[in-house]
Amino acid sequence: MASLTMYPDDERLAGGERIAFNLYIVTAVALFVLMMLLGLTMRMTQAKWLTVQSPLFYQLLSMHGAGMVGTMALVTTAVMWFFLRKYVQLHLWAFVANYVLFMLGALCIIASIFVGRYGALWTFLYPLPVRGFGLWTSNTSALFMVGYLLIGVGSLLFYLDAAAGIIKVHGNLGRALGLQWLFGGKIDPDHPKAVVASTQVIISNSLGILAGAVVLVMSLVNIFFPTVVLNALLAKNLIYWFGHQYINATIYMGVIAVYELLPRYTGKPYPISRPFLWSWAASTLFVIVVYPHHLLMDFAQPRWLAVIGQMVSWGAGFPVFLVTVFGALTNLHRSGIRWTMPSRLLILSMFGWAAGIVPAILDGTIRNNLVMHNTQWVPGHFHFYLLLGVLAMAMALMYHVIGSRVSAPPNSSADKLGFPLYLAGGLIFTYAFLDAGRLSVPRRMAEHLDSWTFTDKVGSIGAILVVLAMLYFAIRISAGLLKQPSAGAAGVSTADAAG
Amino acid sequence: MSVLRTLLASLLVLAAGVTALSASTDGFRAFTSETARRVAVREHPRDLPPVLLQTAQGRTVDLASLRGRWLLVDFIYTRCLTYCSVQGNEFARLQDRLAGPIADGKVLLLSISFDPTHDGPVQLADYQSRSKDRGAGWIAARPTDTAGLEALMRGFGVTAISDGLGGYVHNAAINVVDPRGRLVAIADWDSPQEAEQVVLRGLAR
Amino acid sequence: MTRLQTVVRWAGPILWLTLALPPVRHALESTLTLQMLVQIPLLALVGWWLRPFLPDRAVKVLNAWNRGGISGLLLASFAAMIWMLPRTMDSALNVPWVELAKFTSVPVLLGLPLAVSWPRAGFVVRGVFLVEATATAFRLGWLYLVSPQRLCSNYLLGDQQLAGNALLAIGAAMSLLLAWKLMWGHVDVDGSHRRSHA
Repeated sequence: MASLTMYPDDERLAGGERIAFNLYIVTAVALFVLMMLLGLTMRMTQAKWLTVQSPLFYQLLSMHGAGMVGTMALVTTAVMWFFLRKYVQLHLWAFVANYVLFMLGALCIIASIFVGRYGALWTFLYPLPVRGFGLWTSNTSALFMVGYLLIGVGSLLFYLDAAAGIIKVHGNLGRALGLQWLFGGKIDPDHPKAVVASTQVIISNSLGILAGAVVLVMSLVNIFFPTVVLNALLAKNLIYWFGHQYINATIYMGVIAVYELLPRYTGKPYPISRPFLWSWAASTLFVIVVYPHHLLMDFAQPRWLAVIGQMVSWGAGFPVFLVTVFGALTNLHRSGIRWTMPSRLLILSMFGWAAGIVPAILDGTIRNNLVMHNTQWVPGHFHFYLLLGVLAMAMALMYHVIGSRVSAPPNSSADKLGFPLYLAGGLIFTYAFLDAGRLSVPRRMAEHLDSWTFTDKVGSIGAILVVLAMLYFAIRISAGLLKQPSAGAAGVSTADAAG
Repeated sequence: MSVLRTLLASLLVLAAGVTALSASTDGFRAFTSETARRVAVREHPRDLPPVLLQTAQGRTVDLASLRGRWLLVDFIYTRCLTYCSVQGNEFARLQDRLAGPIADGKVLLLSISFDPTHDGPVQLADYQSRSKDRGAGWIAARPTDTAGLEALMRGFGVTAISDGLGGYVHNAAINVVDPRGRLVAIADWDSPQEAEQVVLRGLAR
Repeated sequence: MTRLQTVVRWAGPILWLTLALPPVRHALESTLTLQMLVQIPLLALVGWWLRPFLPDRAVKVLNAWNRGGISGLLLASFAAMIWMLPRTMDSALNVPWVELAKFTSVPVLLGLPLAVSWPRAGFVVRGVFLVEATATAFRLGWLYLVSPQRLCSNYLLGDQQLAGNALLAIGAAMSLLLAWKLMWGHVDVDGSHRRSHA
């Protein structure tokens, strides 16, 4: 099980690893602030507090969507890497290659959106990218898709290297998941949870990336040879199979931070258990087959796929609630935890994830989806668990690392202001979306009716608070990471401290 | 050291590979032989061989003697029971659309059978009337000997393979020949307007 | 060397000669599916089986430029791409020098580089290659199935559909095989993967 040492030696960041990790985190927090500003602009436009031309709105929406998903993947990849490298051999070149390809891909995406005026959103649903109606050209869409391909290749390289390391230690991925212990046998108490979670991500996200690689090339073929027509339903299935797994992988990479760090802050061990292994095995299967819940309103879909989408959406809640969240709460109970930034963020993330799943499960029910599909309920649910769940997990690690530089978990007065600001802002922001969904306000619309603007205004206020908090966090974390650690600080060699 | 050598070797392979792919596809434009044929003809108009043809009226005519006007040539076989049976109708439509230039003797439609053993003058005449021949400017003919047939297929780039049902599958198209007897463009067999455009542009010049 | 070992060593050239025999050639080129999914892979196998004929010294020189098998696999990939084009498979039937090019380049530029490079390739390089190959099978299969035109003038549309379905099946089979091997099988990770830890 994960050690209770606050800043163990095997988590030391030195030399190239330190530079790479810093690059990942500083880039990520900067991108989060920028993407949040785009998001704020959109909410204020919908609230009619700003005037933004509709074509530009959809460009911003495309950038925000692609940018947030990509940055979330970037930062949680760093989380997975940070912990997995303790248990298996990971190669720095793979970690760096992922970063470089991500940046190249991001450049393509930014160029296609802000130079080429691409506005067909992060989902690139056929035939929208090739029906620009004069707003964007098909070549622009092609550049956007090439950006996605580059990012996908980067992720694949990282996952393959991680798989190699895991297989070398555990034999195969099934044993890494602990499948041999599902029905009995003595579970190795030192089997790392980080390995179980990483294996789940490698399996499911590799499949997703494969689907993405296929549908992106299909879309590119269609762009350059328009007589080769895509089956729109097939394309949508592949796109959502790719996209669903890609964004969910960020949660499963991020939660590694909770498994690793929470016991240190509660002071209570958090041992691996059979329910834990069952939860992750089930989750591996579920995340692969649950994607049809994105196509519940595509009536041309085979019915059995829609049914699977609903059933598995409900089923997927169990591993989360019953194991991770319940487990975290039992670890927390009577632990005498001291509330510092990392511990606050870890517990917040459990709330964010669990509470955020509820609107998702509700929407994954066909009866409800008939009413809520494509209302702002949908961004309500995913902003909930991304903002208050996954991002909190990643920030917990960031704060933990800057704490390691000074051998103490950060808990400054500014931090103690930033946290409630973030929490309050996040809650106001997401509840505004959820309430708008209740009122059937449609999502992805630049121009809102006057009767819809109340929730837009509330959401904008929430967003402002979140942006302010995130701006503070970004500066605080970047400064903390770039600061030279004090001599003698735990987790740092004297050679580092001197130079 | 081997890292740099491998990098260099890989870059060389990449450059050579892309060059080879580009050369094999006419600059990434033609991935099929049909597209390649059309690109080639567009960029390098091809002189056509003189071949003796026997028309549906039984007369003998040399392909070369038809110079001096624009020719729209398609390759058929009258036994076709599938989509290519409509080729004749497309030509009838072209007779209407190009009625003016045809009447002025500037345009001629020519259907050549690549199945001369079966398609004699009677079959060819029947084919034309089935297709609602408008009566002017459309010749149906067959090559008089195998050498002529081969020269035509090679010159125009026609491929016909057995369809397993006793008939043929071929790369049907409308071949545009200029007054100098050169093949200058190849249009889709079911887009007569495409062929029409080429001819009208040529006549305007 | 025993008689059996000799036969095995000459398997490559024997296969090549068999494939070059006119009746075998015509049979394997009679349909698109056979040419693309049987003849060409068999020619690649010829190349793979030619590996023993390369003198060790030559292999050493080559491998100085082939770390991790990367440049060799790149070469094999481009050769494969050229022979995946409908146009080249078409011309092989009509144009003699193209047919000759196929019978020489597929063994020498596809099969042989593959045989030399694969043992040198680490887990990640092999993984990328296999994932891309699987994705390509799906993409090509889809393309063959949905293309409104016949892609090859020498082959029937029905044959094109069959080839498309066969490619999808191959992609599915590869996915299942890879997944099974990684999940429950045994994979040798070490290979020639040199650890470069900054």
